[in-house]
Amino acid sequence: MAASLSAAPERERWSGEDVTLTDVGRALSRLRESSEAEGMRTSVMTHVAWVPEPWLEQARVALAGMGERHPSRTIILVPDADTGTNSIDAAASLERYALPGVERNICSEVIELHLHGKRAKAPASIVEPLLVSDLPVFLRWRGEPPWGAPELDQLVRLTDRLVVDSTEWDDLPFPYRNLVHLFDRAAVSDIAWARTSRWRTLLASLWPGIADVRVVRVRGTAAQAHLLRGWLCSRLGRDDIALEHIEAERLEGIDLDGEAAPFPPGDPPPPSEVLSEELDRFGRDRVYEGAVRAAIA
Amino acid sequence: MPALYALMVRRLLPPRFAVVGVARTEGDDDAFRSDMKEAVQKHARDEFRDDVWDELAQNMHYVSTDFADEGGEDKLEEMVERLDAERDLGGNRVYYLAVPPAAFTTIVGALGERRRGAKGWTRLIVEKPFGHDLASARGLNAMLGEHFTEDEIFRIDHYLGKETVQNMLALRFANGIFEPIWNRQFVDHVQITVAESIGIEGRAGYYESAGAIRDIFQNHLLQLLALTAMEPPIDFTSESVRNEKVKVLRALHTPGPKSVVRGQYGRGFVEGEEVPAYREEKDVAPDSTTDTYVAAKLYVDNWRWADTPFYVRMGKRLARRETTIAIQFKRAPHPPFEEASAEGLRPNVLLVHVQPDEGVSLAIGAKVPGQGMQIRTVHMDFLYGGAFRTAMPEAYERLILDTLLGDGTLFTRSDEVEEQWLLVDSMVAAWQRDRPGFPNYAAGTWGPPSADDLLHRDGRSWRRH
Repeated sequence: MAASLSAAPERERWSGEDVTLTDVGRALSRLRESSEAEGMRTSVMTHVAWVPEPWLEQARVALAGMGERHPSRTIILVPDADTGTNSIDAAASLERYALPGVERNICSEVIELHLHGKRAKAPASIVEPLLVSDLPVFLRWRGEPPWGAPELDQLVRLTDRLVVDSTEWDDLPFPYRNLVHLFDRAAVSDIAWARTSRWRTLLASLWPGIADVRVVRVRGTAAQAHLLRGWLCSRLGRDDIALEHIEAERLEGIDLDGEAAPFPPGDPPPPSEVLSEELDRFGRDRVYEGAVRAAIA
Repeated sequence: MPALYALMVRRLLPPRFAVVGVARTEGDDDAFRSDMKEAVQKHARDEFRDDVWDELAQNMHYVSTDFADEGGEDKLEEMVERLDAERDLGGNRVYYLAVPPAAFTTIVGALGERRRGAKGWTRLIVEKPFGHDLASARGLNAMLGEHFTEDEIFRIDHYLGKETVQNMLALRFANGIFEPIWNRQFVDHVQITVAESIGIEGRAGYYESAGAIRDIFQNHLLQLLALTAMEPPIDFTSESVRNEKVKVLRALHTPGPKSVVRGQYGRGFVEGEEVPAYREEKDVAPDSTTDTYVAAKLYVDNWRWADTPFYVRMGKRLARRETTIAIQFKRAPHPPFEEASAEGLRPNVLLVHVQPDEGVSLAIGAKVPGQGMQIRTVHMDFLYGGAFRTAMPEAYERLILDTLLGDGTLFTRSDEVEEQWLLVDSMVAAWQRDRPGFPNYAAGTWGPPSADDLLHRDGRSWRRH
């Protein structure tokens, strides 16, 4: 984990109801101009998050402090298509992380847009004016994406990397059938997959004995169970490995043919660190794609 | 008027002056002041101050007249003579012409006749459009030349008054690090984007006959290109700077009709709202073939830029409002890293943001902290708002003040205008032969797919955002 620059960022904030994107841009400019200390706006990406209201608090927690490790412009889209009004409510804030030893700050910008009514149906036309020029766009989609819906299609078109957490989806592994259609359009990261990373390293160390495994029992989320089985199938070139899944909120253990695999060392990383790791990746994760395909085979 | 108010706030107007509004509409001083006060309150960048406004307003007057009528200009002249005598203005006059092309000749002729033998200096600010092709521009220049000398004519292009446009000169010629690499050896290509997200805003009458090529390309865009590509002037006088710009304009060519793409927007979404197609806008012909988008590949045929493409694009109802000049440098010749470690690395780009977020940013590759060698692109940003605490003046403030001071550096000279039209005429001539399949891009996007093909054919692509 990167060293912390400061315990808590300084934050300046603006908000408005029924605003235009010009209002948002002007507000950000004013926030920058009104800052007491000189800020260094160093960006490495635009981070777009599609966050339906029920996921909003969780998303804010995961995003808290992200600007420290990934100086960026974060755009949180909160869709609310069911309201009668067609408008945008916005909040913009400037987060300033003090650099130790020098009188300088790193600035990150966070824009939260509540899209009411029809405004939630054409989000790309709202996001695009706010993207930082020339930098990669990461899209974090909370909950199961509405496969085939225009809002998903539009935002994926703008995106270099789509970050999902299939733990948040129901009826697995069926939604993976839709996910595979996006692999050729954007690189995809899955937080559920990232959370199996320590376990996969450990299981790989059991080679060559693991090559003949017949049954894998996973105590964890359904997503982790399907992805781990899919990963074993795809890497071992097999399709006959049976899965037994015992529901748990986190990955607690794996048995191979009834024998418990050893626990990986260390503690599972916090949500913001898992997301942060995914924001450091650029290329397609072919191993993950293979695991997803095998999970639905 | 907001620009005059801003100059007044900063005490940049001369101690004695008068502003005379002239139009055909019936009115008087009070009504004029009231209208202008509303405009200032609505659009001025400074907080409205009664004391400043009162001082400005007492110098404001109005004349209702039509220059087309016999002696129509006499009413104006009587007012100006009276104010000149009352305030001891020395006969110095600035005429600001924001008039339709049809009225231009009449007004310039009348003003020209009147100024013969007058004391003091006279300057004429001329708004665009300056002609609609080379022949008409030459005609206007000749007509202006009958009554005014070139140093009395200030053809305004408000883009040149923008701080960031002037900063291009500072960036290039006040820093030792850029100019040595500002050439074909190190620059892969240049991209200039003048994008608007708005539509034609009720200006169908003008836009139907102008299109993007006359509205933006002929003036703003070519001026941005000239400032980007010009050689260092020997000094910053108006003639030196304009001499260098005109050399670039003379050296410009587009390699052929296939290097020019035109488009017209259909329905689409802007800021989440559905907007109509161009042909559905009020007073636009339902089968209009007016271009609302133009992209082109241009070359500057000189030693500095030979074979270096300048890709330009401009249009209405694009995905965002943005004016940028991007200098994309060639890739490092032999990066000693594994391919996978540099997946997030893009070529170095020096990006000049003309608007919004005025400033300059440099995209460079940097190592991601941690184990291994992962490299990604990061931006070093210089934002005007963050670096300088004074608010930036609006373009018109600078340009009006320069006119008062007689400095034509940021105005377009007659030969520049004619070179710009020469290029436009050559591009438009090719359009006469085909009938475009309009609309060919949806509002809220980055233009027609053929504009992407223009760069893809060269193994390049437009900057993404």
